[in-house]
Amino acid sequence: MNELYHVEGIVNRGFVGQITYMVCLEKPCTKLDIHFTFDRRKRKYSRSEATPERIAETIEVVRRDYGEEITEERAKEIILNDMKTEIHTLATLNDEFIGCIHKQLSDRHMLYDGDHASDGCIPCEIFEGVLKVTVLVFNVIKDNTRYKLTVSGE
Amino acid sequence: MFKRYELHNHTDQSDAKITCRELIGIMEADGVDCFAITDHNTTSGQPIIRKILTEEDHNVKCLYGMEYTTYYGHIVCPVLEQYVPWDSINRHKPELLFEACKKADAITGVAHPFSYGDPFARGCRFEMTITDFTNVDYIEIINNPEPLHEVNEPGILWWEELVLNGEKLSACAGMDLHTFKDKMAMKFATYLEGTDGGDAVLELRTALAQQRTWVSKGMLVTWEIADESVRFELCNVNKRGFVPPERYTLTLKNRDGTREFDLTAGSFTLPLSELGEVEIPKLYGGEPILENLICVAPVIRK
Repeated sequence: MNELYHVEGIVNRGFVGQITYMVCLEKPCTKLDIHFTFDRRKRKYSRSEATPERIAETIEVVRRDYGEEITEERAKEIILNDMKTEIHTLATLNDEFIGCIHKQLSDRHMLYDGDHASDGCIPCEIFEGVLKVTVLVFNVIKDNTRYKLTVSGE
Repeated sequence: MFKRYELHNHTDQSDAKITCRELIGIMEADGVDCFAITDHNTTSGQPIIRKILTEEDHNVKCLYGMEYTTYYGHIVCPVLEQYVPWDSINRHKPELLFEACKKADAITGVAHPFSYGDPFARGCRFEMTITDFTNVDYIEIINNPEPLHEVNEPGILWWEELVLNGEKLSACAGMDLHTFKDKMAMKFATYLEGTDGGDAVLELRTALAQQRTWVSKGMLVTWEIADESVRFELCNVNKRGFVPPERYTLTLKNRDGTREFDLTAGSFTLPLSELGEVEIPKLYGGEPILENLICVAPVIRK
């Protein structure tokens, strides 16, 4: 497939929202690949990043938002097991929904090939017009989280 | 007849570990009358299930929906056949999305409103403020995988408060099925009245419009008003794995408090004059504590 568009970006810790890229498909395509990745090392916290400051902050957030007192050990578990950067991708073609991959992945392909499409995606016969790819940013736990988006077609 | 609906289920089209075909099999094997496919933010599983159910003979019906999985909470739509974008989701004005969904003929519910959100799982807790419930059909008061006290209890209490304050909202349950490990015995399902061969979507719409849904583990409590009295009865819907308790307690909750009645005999009649304007009937196995909850019945409005 030929690369039609490539972009890279950086999102900061705490960002919630979406970033949409519009790609004008000048020639019709029968196959399409929307490839999105973000820095795998920044998806979760490592043991060394479960610092006393982060543990204290987590205890405070749980106390404030849930009225629960948790131990340092429990806070550490939350930091290592639950907290994660979560980014998904959604696509429309001429404003018609053609899929969303909502899985805990740092590397994903929205692949369309005739009758077949990746999980979460709706097969399309032909791609022409305006493709919108939306990066849905649910959570970013680390600053300078880099992502790459590549749209390829054939 | 009563029909069992499972209104909240996922497949590998989003983050579950079961395929569309496996979801059909799980529902059919458990005796479900009708289930919804409600994958996170995608409708891609709908044509897959529709094709299977059209081409093969299965003893279960499907509703084609989706679960809006937003940054600030989940809105489960067991019926959503036309995708409605949610990219302008406004934490302070979720009514806009509910309204857009209803315009597309969707059925809308607030899913697991008190689930743990950030820092555990961002977006799972319903953090949006709804001031107008006009376009909300129901609250998912029980999300089976969630902890009973920490998550489901505040969901029940929120729904009760809304109903006692005059909101016309149904209560439903959800399996939130993601894996084969999610067993359905002794879990809450949604029941409603229907007819053999009846239209599954229409029957759900009717039940929600009239707030005639039961959330139950397998025994329902029904009520009927006649001759200035209200008669309560137990109704076993033979849900797989349901273990009947030795004793049943009915509670009626109104704005003044909660009263208890023994329903072990199977039926019970109360003068209408003893009811408040709005009463929420709930059935327990023995002592009326949350662990013993068996059924939340439709609200009685005098």
